[in-house]
Amino acid sequence: MFRQPARFVLPVVAALALGACGVGGSGSDDTTATVSGEIKGEITFQTWNLKGGYEEYFTGLVTAFQTANPGTTVTWIDQPPEGYQDKLSADAAAGSLPDVVDIGPEAAFTLAGAGMLLDLSKTDPDAAKDYLPKAWDANHFPSLGGTYAYPWYLNTGPSFFNTALLDKCGVDKAALPTTFDALFTAGQTMASKCKSGETMVGRLPAIETFGAYGVPLMNAEGTTFTFNDAKGVELVTRYKQLFEAGGLTEATLNELQTGEVDAFKAGQVGWLPGSSYTLKDLKSTAPKIAETVAISPQITNDKPNMYIESLAVNAKSKNTATAVAFAKFATNRENQLGFSSKAAIFPSAAGALEDAYFTTDDGTPEAKLRVESAKAVSEAIVYWPAAFSSKSVDFMREQIALAVLGKKDVQAALDESVKYAQDNLPK
Amino acid sequence: MTTTTTITPSRAGQARGGADRTHDRWWAPWLFLAPALLIVAVFVLFPFVNTLALSVTDATLLKPGQFIGVDNFVRLAGDERFRTAMVNSMLYVVCVVPVMIAAPLALAALVNGTTRILGFFRTAYYLPVVMSSVIVGLIWTNLLDTRGLINQLLGWLGVINEPIGFLSDRWLTLISAMVVTVWTGLGYYMVIYLAAMANIDRSLYEAAAMDGAGPFRQFRHVTVPGVRATSALIGLFSSVSAFRVFGEVYVLTGGTGGTGGQNITVTMLIQQEGTGLQAQTGYAGAISMVMFVLLGGLLAAQLWFQNRGGDK
Repeated sequence: MFRQPARFVLPVVAALALGACGVGGSGSDDTTATVSGEIKGEITFQTWNLKGGYEEYFTGLVTAFQTANPGTTVTWIDQPPEGYQDKLSADAAAGSLPDVVDIGPEAAFTLAGAGMLLDLSKTDPDAAKDYLPKAWDANHFPSLGGTYAYPWYLNTGPSFFNTALLDKCGVDKAALPTTFDALFTAGQTMASKCKSGETMVGRLPAIETFGAYGVPLMNAEGTTFTFNDAKGVELVTRYKQLFEAGGLTEATLNELQTGEVDAFKAGQVGWLPGSSYTLKDLKSTAPKIAETVAISPQITNDKPNMYIESLAVNAKSKNTATAVAFAKFATNRENQLGFSSKAAIFPSAAGALEDAYFTTDDGTPEAKLRVESAKAVSEAIVYWPAAFSSKSVDFMREQIALAVLGKKDVQAALDESVKYAQDNLPK
Repeated sequence: MTTTTTITPSRAGQARGGADRTHDRWWAPWLFLAPALLIVAVFVLFPFVNTLALSVTDATLLKPGQFIGVDNFVRLAGDERFRTAMVNSMLYVVCVVPVMIAAPLALAALVNGTTRILGFFRTAYYLPVVMSSVIVGLIWTNLLDTRGLINQLLGWLGVINEPIGFLSDRWLTLISAMVVTVWTGLGYYMVIYLAAMANIDRSLYEAAAMDGAGPFRQFRHVTVPGVRATSALIGLFSSVSAFRVFGEVYVLTGGTGGTGGQNITVTMLIQQEGTGLQAQTGYAGAISMVMFVLLGGLLAAQLWFQNRGGDK
């Protein structure tokens, strides 16, 4: 699923009532039973926003699986990505979670905590060798003691800079920032030279920004958040200083990822942390900006960040063996390579990144970007802790905004963010 | 000799054995009421009782939770976001309701007539009412955004050097949302006032005119007293709507509750806490109950003032 932060409006009382109606975790620990049984029967396969561009691929995938496993029927359900966690929650509360679900680690963590996902470390421990270790580990939740999804596709990306804006605002486009120090210096330069609302940075730091800055996000056991340490305070303080110098607009303090992209496309922001999909998107939706874009390595003080999407299996599936077989089929090396060749994503199957498609630069900008991003993927890590829920994301953004505005002490804002995230861990 | 016997309906019934039949059909009214009762029970009573029950538990969406007494309400007292939401919702009531009572009345007085041009204006003012709050919010977002039409226009005219943060500054965002609410509601309440004004006796205006009252004095001394009961009703309606404001603030802030969550309203807080995979249904239930009590109190107070005014 391509990340598009969004919210979902539900009638309040009805939502509460329906939510409560569906409440009722079984409490039975049937997520660790070894999967056995025939690969037969019907299963449902849930994805997000993939039908529009990749219908042919997925129809072929489903047909190939059904042909290889006679007697099986896979019903593919694709829905818009807006508020996907709300849709998942409605399914989970109603006990109608699809058999195989396209899911991110933070949503998988919550569902796994409620006993709704199959623990693959118990039911299919040998599968680990089929995937990149860091991709497999991204769905291993130490505090829950299991691994809850098959890794699917990965995404990372370089930095995109609007060189026309850098020129206008006195930043040397021949020395694009690759570290946070250089980024903040460039941000201050822009603030002093451009007084009409253009800035270098278009969004407040997210949890993965803290990780890339070198802030320890959680303890080794994955039970306690730690991003309120001195390094975390240092990062937020630098954003605060940038804001005070005019290098961040007030509108920036409330921007989500989509707002940051829009501001970049409008020529108001100099730097966009992108993905392998960004160049294609800029060419089609903001061609004038795309002409001025320069691409440089992802800004990080440590390893690059990446995102992962996985396929989880419903622990209460009526055809668990079929669901597991399909999830493994969709995420095997061959099918991941097939999907990666159609979408601007990277495979998580072991050895797939060594395919010529990801190592050969044919001279086009797209191929160059793909090869460089694939290199970055091989060293990147998933910074976003699975235990850091979407509610914690929102709360942290609010707290940091208050700190940057000077309405709250930076340390207090991070302390409260840590406390909120800690309080929201599954009990 | 001819004898005429008058048979009353009840006697007629008795004559046909109707008493027994009426007794047999005691369920008939309930049958007529059943559809409405069923809807009310499923969509009002059950959710209400369920919310009440949830409010004293630590339930989440995926776990039923345990009884925790008033802990959720104690937590609310120390919740900074709840305090912010209460302040915003109450400010909404204080600022929007007087405008919602007065402005549509003035508008109704201006467009009250039978000419075509007045008909056009009545239609134009009513148009926002038939639009969904989300669409209205999106229109205003495009107008008020830092890259929006208003900022571009002001910049083009040389009035501003930097865009005004209509949707990023706390108070400007709240005021913008109030403007949207008023703009949307004007037409609706204007129509209600027009209906009330049609019931005012024309002779009162004629008498006032004969006494030398101009249009303004006629409005002040005939129209305003004539629609007083309607004004009270609109006060009730708009108070409830203002306290429950959601769509305008939600859309104008992109669903975030504004910079630092400073524009969150009580209804938005319920939505944020009560939905999503990490939904805290117990806590959201407690906020709902507080909102219910406050709204109930607000309505009771307004009814009391209204009745007291009527008695006098």
